[in-house]
Amino acid sequence: MEPILSVRGMDKSFGATIALRQVDIDVYPGEIRGLIGENGSGKSTLTSILAGIQKADAGEVAFHGKPWQPVSMIDALEHGVGMIVQETGTIPGISVAENLFLGESTRFRNRLGLVSRKAMEREARKALEVIHADHIQPGMPTAMLDLQERKLIEVAKVMVKKPEILVVDETTTALSQKGRELLYQLMNSLKKEGRAVIFISHDLDEIKQVCDTLTVLRDGKIITHFTRENYDDDAIKTSMIGREMQGEYYRADSVPSWQENVLLKADHLNGSGLKDISLEIRAGEILGIGGLSECGMHTLGKALFGSAMLTDGTLETEGKVYCDPKHATRLGVGYVSKERDTESLCQQASIRDNVAIGGLQHIQKKHLILKKRETEYVQKQVDALSIKCRHMEQPVSAMSGGNKQKVVFGKWLGAGSRVLILDCPTRGVDIGVKQSMYQLITKMKYEGKAILIISEEMSELIGMCDRLLVMKDGAVQKEFLRGQMNEAAIIRYMI
Amino acid sequence: MGKQTWKERIPTFASTLGLLVLIAAYYIIGAIRDANVAYGLKAVVNQSVVVALVATGAVFIYTLGSFDISLGAATGVSALLGAMAYNATGSLIVMFLVCIGVAVVIGFINSSLASVFNLPIFVTTVAMMSVLSAFMLILIGWNGAGDTIKVKARDVRPLDNIPFKVSMLVAYIALCWFIFTLLPTGREAKFIGGNPICAKLSGIDEKKLAIIASLISAVGIGLGAFLTIVYAPTLNKDTASSIGMDVIIAIVFGGMPVSGGPRSRILSAVVGAFSMGFLSQIMSMLNLGSGFGQMIKAAIFLLVVFIALGSQRSKLLTR
Repeated sequence: MEPILSVRGMDKSFGATIALRQVDIDVYPGEIRGLIGENGSGKSTLTSILAGIQKADAGEVAFHGKPWQPVSMIDALEHGVGMIVQETGTIPGISVAENLFLGESTRFRNRLGLVSRKAMEREARKALEVIHADHIQPGMPTAMLDLQERKLIEVAKVMVKKPEILVVDETTTALSQKGRELLYQLMNSLKKEGRAVIFISHDLDEIKQVCDTLTVLRDGKIITHFTRENYDDDAIKTSMIGREMQGEYYRADSVPSWQENVLLKADHLNGSGLKDISLEIRAGEILGIGGLSECGMHTLGKALFGSAMLTDGTLETEGKVYCDPKHATRLGVGYVSKERDTESLCQQASIRDNVAIGGLQHIQKKHLILKKRETEYVQKQVDALSIKCRHMEQPVSAMSGGNKQKVVFGKWLGAGSRVLILDCPTRGVDIGVKQSMYQLITKMKYEGKAILIISEEMSELIGMCDRLLVMKDGAVQKEFLRGQMNEAAIIRYMI
Repeated sequence: MGKQTWKERIPTFASTLGLLVLIAAYYIIGAIRDANVAYGLKAVVNQSVVVALVATGAVFIYTLGSFDISLGAATGVSALLGAMAYNATGSLIVMFLVCIGVAVVIGFINSSLASVFNLPIFVTTVAMMSVLSAFMLILIGWNGAGDTIKVKARDVRPLDNIPFKVSMLVAYIALCWFIFTLLPTGREAKFIGGNPICAKLSGIDEKKLAIIASLISAVGIGLGAFLTIVYAPTLNKDTASSIGMDVIIAIVFGGMPVSGGPRSRILSAVVGAFSMGFLSQIMSMLNLGSGFGQMIKAAIFLLVVFIALGSQRSKLLTR
């Protein structure tokens, strides 16, 4: 069978960083090919070149046997390769319809030469219906939509062009189970039509379930390929990280444990969709919050940090009341947002600035910030979290997803936060980094910190938490203790 | 961990290098043309010092990702009231304090309105600009001395010298550098400019920072107003009217993005203001007509900004 797309000897570097080295890969009709590898292994670089976002330094790409040299993402999409990017690929200040037809507004010119919004919105509605996302209004400003809905706009934008090859880059981490199933259906329909999908994910179970073939990248090189018949977890993990994984993945113990003192107390929180939520987290406790994506758990995370609009309720940490992020941080409460790139990091700023901003009070000596002291402080976090970087002046926008997340952790750990609210802490993070984050969270537990994990990954909640609260429609439905948690029971309360 | 390579550092210093090149060019061209270089240098300082003072303070506001369109009007009103205070008391110290005090009150009103009504500073400064422009006309009319308010030139002449002006500028830059670099204010302001949501979720108080930035900027406006009276003691409704635009050009010429954020630098303002001053003098020495000279200035402006922003373009690594 002739491949749809064939890559030979592709190289790509960013300054001193080699992103791709002599990559050869073929993508065949009717194939869903998984791409897997650690953060920074080159998966997104490879697919972004195929999708016209950037150019390779060397190598050849053939699409249906002809040279493939798209000049832009729109050009690539027009000619058969569409990509749903990992992070936000929509523009917040314009409408859904305008995002869907970005660069194509001239298609909707009326007799007077003006762009007809009605015609554009009519087409947008059709595109959204194709992916069963017709609950999104085409005329709505995109900024008003949540992460999942914005992702669905990107899916619609690509699918409306019926691409020969669809690239899905870690998109599912932004989607609820319903959204994921929708995307899998679309991928399978492309497969049946003889088109192909390149699927990037860090979720090994998902990738095994969805993909026919699997290609492993490490340090910019193709390491090996697997077919569905020979999928083997250990072999895949070993080829990804280049060594066997050492130590436990999740916590080894199966008994819940915590200390006496309450570090975070929330009483009767109401508003922003939350319904009378009260909870306590004790020192040395990992409390999990689970549920469907829209159950209110992400709002609860914000509310516990004092950044959601509440109509009622009080928040306390170690007996001290707080009501906004400024007071929360001063009292030692830290918050890692699910939307890492837009809410937890200043992308243009350096690693130094992002880490140091959380702990300025620790860096100051007689109210002054001295560079030497600041450098030592940041270096300590970079070393403790094994953040991969060339130097601490590197902007975080140039880092991989896992390393960005480590920078966010560094900000709060350096600040000495006693309470950490972690909303989807391992979203977009490879298994190697995930393991080190789980080990870090376990270490923080034994150091007496109170940790709240909000997650859409059931295995993560079961594997890490002492207690789990299952939420539905803004309210807590059920509490499970470690050792009593099982997926079937949890799902029953989620739905 | 490695360190930044010299290539990575170049964009940071591009604008400073640009200024050094312009200074060298000024002396070389001056020597070739046998121009009065010392006189020209005095003109550069006189032209640039007020813009540099106002722009250095304004860096705090620009760093927040905000914009103050009332800088010129605020300088004008401060200068008019300062001159009137001098005419009433005959004291240069009172004139100085009134200039600073008026600017601080204007800055405080701007930032407080922005905080109370939850508006961007830019919005309140648009309203303030109209109010201040009208107030200037009222003051001039109320003074009853025609279209101007004058201070006797001989009274302020002792202060109209380069060492005094440069000392005032250096002292203010040192104060701003200290606050911007060694206190949390600068770091927090950069974060707000870079990502206001992240800044809020990092516990940074945006309203407090907006008030601090406005007050620091106001001190620069007050100093600028004082030196405006010293340099040109006859004031009218157009006094300092071009300062707002000059400040924007100086900041961008100094290599700082107008959008603010992490790449903001306190020295950008002074580097930009003096670069503009030297460039004008070079054009004048070369007898370039204002049309052609403006085109060359525009080309150099674009080149410096292109180099200064180079780092952002080349550091795009997807993952």
